[in-house]
Amino acid sequence: MASITFKNVVKTYDNGVTVVPDLNLEIKDKEFIVLVGPSGCGKSTTLRMIAGLEDVSSGELIIGDKVVNTVPPKDRDIAMVFQSYALYPHMTVRDNMAFALKLRKEPQEEIDKKVNEAAKILELEKYLDRKPKALSGGQRQRVALGRAMVRKPAVFLLDEPLSNLDAKLRTEMRSQIAALHKRLETTFVYVTHDQTEAMTMGDRIVVMKDGFVQQFDTPQNLYNYPCNMFVAGFIGSPQMNFLNVTVEKAAEGQVLVFGDSRISVNKPELEAYIGKEVVMGVRPEDIHANSAAHVGEPAEYTAFINHMEMMGSENYLYLDAYGQKMLARIPARYEFSEDTTVTLAIDTGKIHVFDKETTNIICH
Amino acid sequence: MKKAKEKRSNAIWSVILGILSILYMYPIVMILFNSLKDERAISTNTAFQLPTAETFAGLANYVNAINAQGFLKSLGYSLFITVTSVAAILLFCAMCSWYITRVKTKFAQGLYFLFAFSMVVPFQMVMFTLSQTADMLDLNTPWNIWVIYLGFGAGLAVFMFAGFMKSIPLEVEEASMIDGCNPIQTFFMIVMPMLKPTMVSVGILEAMWVWNDYLLPTLVLDIKKYRTIPMLIQYFRGSYGRVEMGPMMACIMLTVIPIVIVYLAGQKHIIKGVAAGAVKG
Ligand SMILES: Nc1ncnc2c1ncn2[C@@H]1O[C@H](COP(=O)(O)OP(=O)(O)O)[C@@H](O)[C@H]1O
Ligand SMILES: [Mg+2]
Repeated sequence: MASITFKNVVKTYDNGVTVVPDLNLEIKDKEFIVLVGPSGCGKSTTLRMIAGLEDVSSGELIIGDKVVNTVPPKDRDIAMVFQSYALYPHMTVRDNMAFALKLRKEPQEEIDKKVNEAAKILELEKYLDRKPKALSGGQRQRVALGRAMVRKPAVFLLDEPLSNLDAKLRTEMRSQIAALHKRLETTFVYVTHDQTEAMTMGDRIVVMKDGFVQQFDTPQNLYNYPCNMFVAGFIGSPQMNFLNVTVEKAAEGQVLVFGDSRISVNKPELEAYIGKEVVMGVRPEDIHANSAAHVGEPAEYTAFINHMEMMGSENYLYLDAYGQKMLARIPARYEFSEDTTVTLAIDTGKIHVFDKETTNIICH
Repeated sequence: MKKAKEKRSNAIWSVILGILSILYMYPIVMILFNSLKDERAISTNTAFQLPTAETFAGLANYVNAINAQGFLKSLGYSLFITVTSVAAILLFCAMCSWYITRVKTKFAQGLYFLFAFSMVVPFQMVMFTLSQTADMLDLNTPWNIWVIYLGFGAGLAVFMFAGFMKSIPLEVEEASMIDGCNPIQTFFMIVMPMLKPTMVSVGILEAMWVWNDYLLPTLVLDIKKYRTIPMLIQYFRGSYGRVEMGPMMACIMLTVIPIVIVYLAGQKHIIKGVAAGAVKG
């Protein structure tokens, strides 16, 4: 029920460190937005500014149609789930969830109804009279979600809510939170450093680095059209390969010279780079064992297999190609062995070319 | 092999600590025995004898002590002073520690050092000026002497509260602010309940001190009008030069008993509270 807008927002902490230098962001109503980036890049700071737990040093923060720079947290109509859950240790699960409603002086029947409903959705009915310390990590997590849920806030803020759970539970909670978003129909802002969480949950993803927004787009677009080497490397697992290649002029279009391999492309953007070195980005899944099943022209090259990891359905090949390291994901039906030289094919329809100096994208 | 060695060292420790505790307990036990003895049987060379059939006085000394002029009144004063002082110390010091741990300014930091420093200053150094100041400010009645106790008790209390408070995650308080609390509500509904173990231990330590304190009330209160129990014990001795040893011993026992009960009841919390402040702080 509320959009969130950052207009030239700056955050400088008391110690003089500017963590967020200039943030411009428009989050639409009912969107599930994920803030993702390496640890220390200012995700939590950004989220805490929305919550009102940190002051905005300058610029405007707008929730709905109201500038909230000086509005205290309790009047922002938001709810927040913390990484440490931050449950009230001296209260039962029921009281934890009812606390905000009691403060609002809602009638008791109303409170009971809402708490029971949330408990039912989150499968917490059996634990309503327990204290948080008698619950497992996953249950505490759900209580934290419940506490936020019962208030029906306009904005739901979550700061790395799954990072204290084990891998299996994390996957489970991921879909629970996504389901919760559908059910509640409110704006979600979700912070994580895990690109898998970001890709699977977000309607749109904000990729941050050093306080700057690198790219703000849908998961598909981030994957297919990364705007610089940082986003390209951060999104997707295993990471994209970055290879140094030289651009040469060809009769038609250009050629990327990669060792003995010459990859033909035809991109007007590359004309300015003739004779220069650029970085070619290729995802491990866009390297194939033979020349069939390609979007673009296959470009063959030879490489030495240093090491191989069997993942079951596919193998990860750690390669040395013309002195540069790269990784390929090849279906397990192709039989390769370590310490041999093989010929592989890059899908030229899926390569990205980056400027070596600015690390920005030249063309896809 | 290792077990046996451990067992032996345990036994040695038990013996050493046992002897120590007897040494500590001995004076109190002696007072207990003497409080049950006839007045004439309490003298320098008979004090160490156990009560015998001849010298056993039953509870006569206790009856005398309670009936003595002003005992109940003194008990009232002592109780009132202890309760008000401890309540004030708990409330104000908990609030103050919250401020000190959560507000990261130079002022708060300086305040904390000031409190810690106040624990180091010996009482004797300030007692002269104190009694003057107390008179000047009219803080010389049992009804408001708690203000002075608050001052002297604050050092230890703030130190312990702040030590424990540092271990409470800030996020719990932030969650309460988002849930709709103003700072006062956050303090009373979230912070205070979480502080409970430390509250109990600080409360008991301060209560024992205030209840037993002799010097401060003697300096500040008008001895003719108001006598706390420790002052009264002194008085048993002083009146008309006669020493009423029996009732005095009984009175000492009566003073010790409540504090022992309070301590036993809260013992578990004291250890927990002190350990929490020490380890996590
Ligand atoms: N209260 C604070 N005072 C000073 N610096 C802080 C404070 N909180 C965070 N920082 C700094 O701001 C940077 C970003 O922190 P944060 O937003 O928590 O990053 P993230 O959540 O992305 O890991 C970090 O370098 C951190 O050290
Ligand atoms: Mg963070």
